Amino acid sequence: MSVLLQHPGYAEERLRSVTERLPCREAQACTMLALMGEPEQYSYPSIFIYGHRAAGKSYVTQTLLKELELPHIVVSCVECVSAGLLFEQVLMAFFGSSSSASLPRSPSFSDFVRLYRQLCTQLPANQTRYIVLDKAELLRDMDANFLPGFLRLQELVDDNVTVIFLSEIVWDKFRPNTGCFEPLLLHFPNYSKVELQEILAQDCHPSYSPELYSSYINILLGVFYSVCRDLRELRHLAALNFVKFCEPLENGEAKEKDTHKLWRNIEPHLKRAMQTVYLREVSSVQWEQQQTEERETADMRVLSAHDHVELPYYSKFLLIAAYLASYNPARTDRRFFLKHHGKIKKTNFLKKHEKTSNHLLGPKPFPLDRLLAIFYSVVDSRVAPTASVFSQISSLVTLQLLSQVSHDDQLDAPKYKCTVSLDFIRAISRTVGFDIVRYLYDFL
Amino acid sequence: TPRNATPSIPTRSLPARKPGNVLEEARARLHVSSVPESLPCREQEFQDIYSFVESKIIDGTGGCMYISGVPGTGKTATVHEVIRCLQHSSDQDEIPAFRFIEINGMKMTDPHQAYVQILQKLTDQKATADHAASLLEKRFSNPAPKRETTVLLVDELDLLWTRKQNVMYNLFDWPTRRHARLVVLAIANTMDLPERIMINRVASRLGLTRMSFQPYSFKQLQQIITSRLNRVKAFEEDALQLVSRKVAALSGDARRCLDICRRATEICEHSSSQPSDTGLVGMGHVMEALEEMFSSSYITAIRCASLQEQLFLRAVIAEFRRLGLEEATFQQVFVQHQTLCRVEGLQPIGVSEGLAVCQRLGTCRLLLLEPSRLDVLLRVRLNVSQDDVLYALKED
Repeated sequence: MSVLLQHPGYAEERLRSVTERLPCREAQACTMLALMGEPEQYSYPSIFIYGHRAAGKSYVTQTLLKELELPHIVVSCVECVSAGLLFEQVLMAFFGSSSSASLPRSPSFSDFVRLYRQLCTQLPANQTRYIVLDKAELLRDMDANFLPGFLRLQELVDDNVTVIFLSEIVWDKFRPNTGCFEPLLLHFPNYSKVELQEILAQDCHPSYSPELYSSYINILLGVFYSVCRDLRELRHLAALNFVKFCEPLENGEAKEKDTHKLWRNIEPHLKRAMQTVYLREVSSVQWEQQQTEERETADMRVLSAHDHVELPYYSKFLLIAAYLASYNPARTDRRFFLKHHGKIKKTNFLKKHEKTSNHLLGPKPFPLDRLLAIFYSVVDSRVAPTASVFSQISSLVTLQLLSQVSHDDQLDAPKYKCTVSLDFIRAISRTVGFDIVRYLYDFL
Repeated sequence: TPRNATPSIPTRSLPARKPGNVLEEARARLHVSSVPESLPCREQEFQDIYSFVESKIIDGTGGCMYISGVPGTGKTATVHEVIRCLQHSSDQDEIPAFRFIEINGMKMTDPHQAYVQILQKLTDQKATADHAASLLEKRFSNPAPKRETTVLLVDELDLLWTRKQNVMYNLFDWPTRRHARLVVLAIANTMDLPERIMINRVASRLGLTRMSFQPYSFKQLQQIITSRLNRVKAFEEDALQLVSRKVAALSGDARRCLDICRRATEICEHSSSQPSDTGLVGMGHVMEALEEMFSSSYITAIRCASLQEQLFLRAVIAEFRRLGLEEATFQQVFVQHQTLCRVEGLQPIGVSEGLAVCQRLGTCRLLLLEPSRLDVLLRVRLNVSQDDVLYALKED
């Protein structure tokens, strides 16, 4: 079982409660405690903690700092759209709410350091102050002096302060080209299957026994562990599907001992959940409703099946023409769209070395003239090139069914790409009675 | 405090020490800031500028002159000396009185600040840039019978360049006005500045009165130092000759020459056992000072680099040879690095450590790198020549 954290600087019952709240992270917490030292001792100037999503980086840091009642501030760099917000939060947390009033309107790093020095002579630190910067990878996009500045903040402000960076990205991608003070690197490894089981089994339902919940988690991990190791996602799925798991018990069809029966009941359900709710095709609320209403889960219209769009007649043909222009090479246009195209040698037409299909390489850009030429060829009736045809092209662009490439010339010779999928275009061409597969080079 | 207080710096508690021995005396005389009364080796230039400005003052007309030359050839010092002489002769009532104003492009935050500074020096008025421009325009275009000639020295002219070049245009257009009585002396480093960056109407107003200051030859540099020292016997003759020959070969910069001499006196002072008895500054001291101030530190940096860093540099060169290019990605270099590690019998290092090695070399500018977020795809180039690297790595 877990080892009790020990450190001479802190009270024992505090450390015990911290240990209870940090399952499977004793080693990391131990290292951090050792780095932090006693509250009044100087710690390392900057610590860089990295690890995957939901590896407990911010949780461990925040729990330690909060439970041991150390002066700290947790700033998420996503929220700090301007540097001023970041500085303001740090100063307010350490020196009271009125301290940030004297920051200038768009403060630079030197303003922050000057004010910090000023305030910390009035209010010197008797314990190490901790600044936790969450999502620290965004610091790289701020001013070039921020990251190096925060890395040696202890030296700059001459105060007992430690900056902790939390990120999912390794330190190698942070290092500025002009060099900087190297932080202490600390890695949080992923939870193993056993650890995930242990953590997830902690939040069991009050009306059932812990063993039952533990076996449920076991089944859940058996299905999901190969695709997902994210603790948050797994916990969410566990909470969603537990009602279904307990159904046989509620109805009296099975007892808690009949693990095989319970497994037979829940397993197909979980497999279905992987295809729908895990990919967010069905929202969690819908999923719960389904379970209570006892409906068949598969007949729900999922989010990705909604790709049917009502379009005007000519817009459909324009889109078809755009699709053909994007996925057919231009040299085959004569063969496909000209009535009397003369003789074309088959060997010439089908080049052997073109092995990869155009559908794998993605759409290619085409000029407007080619789109219109194909459009007139695929529409049977005579269409006048009125303003409405051209406005339909531009509205297809705004609907993001087409996309305009190379923005240098808007009026003369614009180029487009078709951005719809094959299934979508097949559905559209079915509605106008056009067999698109016959015209696609890839399917000859 | 009073509203119009003159800005001042706090005074010393003790007065500055008088030079104690010969070397200190020499050092004080050789300081760049102690400009001598008359500049040696610039008599011709002095005469040209003097006669130009004097004739304009006597005629009561205006004109422009463009003065160019590489840094440290005595452009600003010569102009100042000309002005000092002219001031002296106007005090003697030999020529009419005139005013002298100086602006420096480097001291301005914005080229348009030139108007503000000129106006302030002319009339003690403070105004915004636009307002100052219009005031100056009015002043220079309207007749005023009792106006004295103004001599305007514009230093670092190339920094007054703006997209529309209106600052430069105005500076050279005002002297052509009938009532302006303005003489503009413009100083910059490049000789072909008017042709390169000025549009035609500005270049034509600048006119063809040009003067270029040639870099000092070694004899001139030697003469400058001897005139500075003025019979203070602190240097050996050969030592002086060495300094002036070296500097003349490189740049012909008098300031550089004086700095090296000062450094040589310091080295001499340190090397002598007792502070009281100091010999002359000899060849050895000068050689040491030259070494300090001229040699590039890249080779020393490569020699002092860690083992893995040296290996990495070797790997860079090996990869360049293989590719036949002067550029490679980190990935490619790293493969070579690992091979080299195995050949040398070292434990191969990981990618993270390799990147750290590479980026450390990048921070001391031995390598030129792309931003580190590109990871293994960042491109590596050498900032020193391959021969230098090989030379530095070979000797052991």
